[in-house]
Amino acid sequence: MSNQLKALLRGDADRLSELLGKPTTSALAGYAGVVLIGSGFYGFTLGLWRAPLQAFYTAIKFPLVIFFTCVGNGTINGMLAQILGSGLSFRQTAVAILMSFAIAAIILAGFAPLTLFVWFNAPPLESEGAILGHSVMLLTHVFVIALAGVIANRRLLGLLRKMSGSEKAARAVLFSWLAGNLFLGAQVAWNLRPFIGSPKLAVEFLRSDPLRGNFYEAVWGALRHILF
Amino acid sequence: MNTPPTQNPSSKPPPIPGRFAFEPMPEGGSPPLVVQALLKHPGRIIYELQNNWRAALPLSLLLLVLLGMLAYGVVVGSFSGGAQLWIAPAKIAVGTMLSILICLPSLYIFTCLSGINAQLRTVTGVLFAAVSLSSLLLIGFAPIAWIFSQSTGSVAFMAALHIGLWAIGIMFGLRLLEGMGHLLGGSARNHLKFWSAIFIVVCLQMMTTLRPIVGTSDRFLPGERKFFLTHWAETLRDESAKK
Repeated sequence: MSNQLKALLRGDADRLSELLGKPTTSALAGYAGVVLIGSGFYGFTLGLWRAPLQAFYTAIKFPLVIFFTCVGNGTINGMLAQILGSGLSFRQTAVAILMSFAIAAIILAGFAPLTLFVWFNAPPLESEGAILGHSVMLLTHVFVIALAGVIANRRLLGLLRKMSGSEKAARAVLFSWLAGNLFLGAQVAWNLRPFIGSPKLAVEFLRSDPLRGNFYEAVWGALRHILF
Repeated sequence: MNTPPTQNPSSKPPPIPGRFAFEPMPEGGSPPLVVQALLKHPGRIIYELQNNWRAALPLSLLLLVLLGMLAYGVVVGSFSGGAQLWIAPAKIAVGTMLSILICLPSLYIFTCLSGINAQLRTVTGVLFAAVSLSSLLLIGFAPIAWIFSQSTGSVAFMAALHIGLWAIGIMFGLRLLEGMGHLLGGSARNHLKFWSAIFIVVCLQMMTTLRPIVGTSDRFLPGERKFFLTHWAETLRDESAKK
């Protein structure tokens, strides 16, 4: 497994395409395990600023966002991979996407000590600078998560290029997966909020109305508030 | 002096790289094989429809259209719940079939205008294939649509989302018509692009004619006639007024 993880991080297209050629259930479970541990650990640091209980909740919910997104988009990602000529089956698509999330989870786990250091230095919840602390934590995590996502997908592009034999098809497939995963992932994260935890709201596993409203309406509402 | 032999454009098309390879389907033609061919090798479907026509293939494609639209319709209806759970799928399936019926004659004419040598049954089958591919994609999009339908109360947002997802599906579906143009020796492909735009407008208007599909109403069908854009503008205005 350690060799496989190294190959994942290196983006070793030859080795990864070999692994993808014969996707086994144990490999699938292995990647899922990496996602669970890596993103769970990072999730813990995400909620720690608000309260230890929030950290525990976020450690559970962060991997859930990834798994729900993978499951929700599983069928359409598989179909798009075939239509756009990647040569990947549904199973291979699921493994490839899980591979990229596993890479992101490893990167996030690697960044966890750094985000813990930021948490250690951020103004705490009880202090006068609580709003600043919340903003610093929010920006740091957005930056780290975006960075992990970009690197993970960059690794996936090499694999797709190798599997499809076409730069154009690889980019089209990657773009369609990215767009779909971002679109659904943002909404799943909205439904499973809070992650960092607002300073003014109680610590909860889920808000009392998790299915009320959606991410995009909230963004639109915020934009209207700012602009009009 | 030797004259070059004449070629039947349907039997030897220009070479197209990749998935639009013009080749026969493997024996059997079972529904899973048809789905696989639609996704991976649509050229095989066009080949079978042109060179090895069997009623079973277009019927399988038609069945796929109906199943896909009914399944996605249930997700559309889940936004309002109640009677919409059966009304929405019924209206979407019927609306799609009516759109196909309305547009099929013009598609055949535009196919001929494009210089394609295809029979009406081939063109019908390719249109079924195009719509069945879009309905397959809608099945794939169903979990995304469902989570949003459970998370919002905005009819305008849901309608926009459904139109967006349908647009992605039909865009891939209508590429099959372009593929038909390539494979069957069409010389002017702009005709089929123009027809595709007509088909999209007809589908949008059909769903307006059969409204409400996302929201609810006391009546099964609307009392007044409206164009799609007018209805859309009114929906957005009502939504803003609510806020």
